[in-house]
Amino acid sequence: MRHSEDHQLVARIVTDQDTAAFGELVRRHQSQVRNFLRKLTGDIALADDLSQDCFMHAWDKIRGFTGRGSFIGWLLKIAYTTFLQSKRKSKRYAEILDEVGHVAVAESRSYTVQADEVTDLDKLLAVLTEEERAIMVMSYACGLSHREISEATAMPVGSVKSVIFRGKEKIRTSFDIKDHQHG
Amino acid sequence: MTSKIINMAERIKDAEDRLLESMFESAPIADNGFGTRVVKRVRRRLWLQRLALPVAAIIGGAVAIKPMADLVTVVANLSFSVTSVVPEELVTATTGLIPQAPFVVLGAMLLAACLLGLRAIED
Repeated sequence: MRHSEDHQLVARIVTDQDTAAFGELVRRHQSQVRNFLRKLTGDIALADDLSQDCFMHAWDKIRGFTGRGSFIGWLLKIAYTTFLQSKRKSKRYAEILDEVGHVAVAESRSYTVQADEVTDLDKLLAVLTEEERAIMVMSYACGLSHREISEATAMPVGSVKSVIFRGKEKIRTSFDIKDHQHG
Repeated sequence: MTSKIINMAERIKDAEDRLLESMFESAPIADNGFGTRVVKRVRRRLWLQRLALPVAAIIGGAVAIKPMADLVTVVANLSFSVTSVVPEELVTATTGLIPQAPFVVLGAMLLAACLLGLRAIED
């Protein structure tokens, strides 16, 4: 039902460039996109900026949405690409600063939480690599199927499964899951 | 026995998955004007895209004024030299058909104004 409503809104955008329909789509999915990017970046302000960029890219590419999968799956693919592009840009920026003699902040794998209080989830995300984090969040926080994650990350389904397996292994070894479960 | 082990393994896996889901779960983020900001950005971009063509036409017209005026002058001079060979009535009729620079510029400006007006009404 929700999928078909999304598809109808997309059709209105494609045919009439209906910004109100796009606004409705943004309102429906902003929470999931922002949550996804907040978990990936660990920075609320950056995540919100990237979310805005993500929706702008979605507006530009809306004709590319074929309607085969869910709209949120397609949107998270754009969000992930936006995140990777931003990482590349900041990495390049750090390289330039390095070249001119400034001390750049190393951030290739780091997950730094801006909030005062570090939650269990923050600790959990910190042990994962960027790729594992993205895939685990897509799977467990956004509820995407392995197939949808495979499309979003341009990885084979088998690789997605093994990344999830690896992520779970890391979490298992780094945390006492049973203790968390009972306490 | 084997199937029992497999079922148990799946049950354990399911429980772990449920646990992970609960750990990854977070409260929905309130919109707080986020959607409005995105739509504003989209509308601004649309407006700029629509404005690009008329603005390009105006700038192009402004750049073309001088060469166009020169061209008209050359054509007018040419027509005077042609009158010695071709009957004068024919030459005046032909030069009358060539649009003069002020008319071309005025036309371009009117067209641009109309396009802008239409876009504004549409928005």
